[in-house]
Amino acid sequence: MEKIRTVSTALFSLSDIRHSFRGLHVLKGVQLAVAPGAFVGLIGPNGAGKSTLFNIASGFLTPDHGGVHFDGAQIVNCTVQDRSRRGLVRTFQTPKVFGGMSVLENLMVGCHKRSRSGIVGDLFRTPQSRREISEARSAAYAVLERFNLKHVAQSKAANLPAGLQRMLELARAYVGQPRLLMLDEPSSGLNGDEIRQLKRVLNEINGEGIAILLVSHDMDLVDAASTVHVLCFGEIIASGSMAEVRQDARVREAYLGI
Amino acid sequence: MQSSMVNRSRFALIVGVGAVLWALLPVLASRHVIDLFVFAGIYTIAGLGVSYLLGQCGIVNLAQSVFYGIGAYSVAYFTAQHGLPSVVAFVAGATLSALIAFAVGWPILRLSGHFLALATLALAVIGQVLFLEWDWLTGGTLGIGGLPKFSLFGWVLSTPQRFYYLVWPVAFLAMWLNYNLTHSGNGLAMRAMRDAPDAAAVAGVETHPLKVQMFVLSAILGSLAGSLFAHYVGFISVDSFGVDRSINFLLLAVLGGVHTTWGPALGAIFVTLVPELLSRFGEIHAVLFAVALVIAVVYLPQGFGGMIEQRLWKKYAP
Repeated sequence: MEKIRTVSTALFSLSDIRHSFRGLHVLKGVQLAVAPGAFVGLIGPNGAGKSTLFNIASGFLTPDHGGVHFDGAQIVNCTVQDRSRRGLVRTFQTPKVFGGMSVLENLMVGCHKRSRSGIVGDLFRTPQSRREISEARSAAYAVLERFNLKHVAQSKAANLPAGLQRMLELARAYVGQPRLLMLDEPSSGLNGDEIRQLKRVLNEINGEGIAILLVSHDMDLVDAASTVHVLCFGEIIASGSMAEVRQDARVREAYLGI
Repeated sequence: MQSSMVNRSRFALIVGVGAVLWALLPVLASRHVIDLFVFAGIYTIAGLGVSYLLGQCGIVNLAQSVFYGIGAYSVAYFTAQHGLPSVVAFVAGATLSALIAFAVGWPILRLSGHFLALATLALAVIGQVLFLEWDWLTGGTLGIGGLPKFSLFGWVLSTPQRFYYLVWPVAFLAMWLNYNLTHSGNGLAMRAMRDAPDAAAVAGVETHPLKVQMFVLSAILGSLAGSLFAHYVGFISVDSFGVDRSINFLLLAVLGGVHTTWGPALGAIFVTLVPELLSRFGEIHAVLFAVALVIAVVYLPQGFGGMIEQRLWKKYAP
């Protein structure tokens, strides 16, 4: 009964996800749900299956077994693009920015999924094509400040330092108006100041009702999440607030090493 | 604001002078030079497709000779053998090229990088063999001669001068379309896909269909150029549609600068004019051309277009 209720009210859920690589069982029946507007963290030691789970959730990998639901629909066989249009957007452990393009152009690509103009329309600069590009430009300008990117708007993305590339990636996801933002180790490669700024931005975004699923090693960052799941050897071994999971005996043994 | 006005008028001046020079060239230059410029215009059209794929999508296309050949043989088949108007041949060649590009592009554009380049090279080799073997259509090594001159509303393009005024406007039109696409939403999506395909997918860019569409568009340009070529020279043989032709298109794209709209025109003028200029040195001219190429590529990694854009354009563009 409890399980049914969770699935029906969740924005996003993974049910009984199992996956193996060459006979090695990486995920052994993982359940996980993200309520609308929630901030959920996922932690676990190296090799716990976090990346595999994350790739399954974002559509880069199809699980051997199990379901992925978003907004009431089964999306386990949906493409990455389709998930993005539905409002499910991820970032990468190493920021993947469009290096040869300006920061502003990177953000404009974030609006791409709202455009309807095809190649032919774009070749002939139809009114629709022109309107869409100017709308994308306005939307991109509007988010520059919040992500501390205004001073580098015209810079080539490849030339940005790691912290700003991370911000750019977040901003690019945000400008597409996602409903669930999935972040893979967003603090990797950042210094203390940058992590604090990242945390602030994540809290702001979450405050606007965008749900966040955060996978991270960084305890301080995961602290921002209201619910934390601990993944260990392909199973969720504990769930609850950060304070609660810190107290869990299995977690202490397996992950915190205390 | 003031300086932007000055820049704008300077920009207009540069474009105006360029346009006048372009328009007067057939009056001032010798017939031989005009002839070379006609070829440069034809190569520009085919090279634009190759340049766009490389610069915007990161796709090395060595198969352009196939579509160039299809466009040319289409003219031979429909106009010379069946007496149909040129327009039919142009459209038929472009349609066939588009269909083949779609059918072949769909599977091979799943590949990327060197593997994709090799797949397009394989396509070029297959094309060359088929052009040779299907002599009922292509005339094999003997080729097909006696193609009718292109005529438009009763105006026969019988001289290089007249053809110059047909080919270059077509090239300019293709450049304009190319420019529009570059500055559109799909243009951004293509560059995103080129730089980080996974991230582009997350942004909702349908990468594979986009690549296939661009490959088809490039093939149409190749076919169009081939049709113009056949009409201009009046005689075509399989020698004109080999792998070396594809390499030539790729070469002019890289020389011109794959990130600029009008770079392919400069690249095309270079690969047609420079060998001619060097030919007066006799036997050694091929070596000299190769040296010139190496120098150009080493010192102008962004191509002629990239160099001009960085040095001059930034200064004068509005």
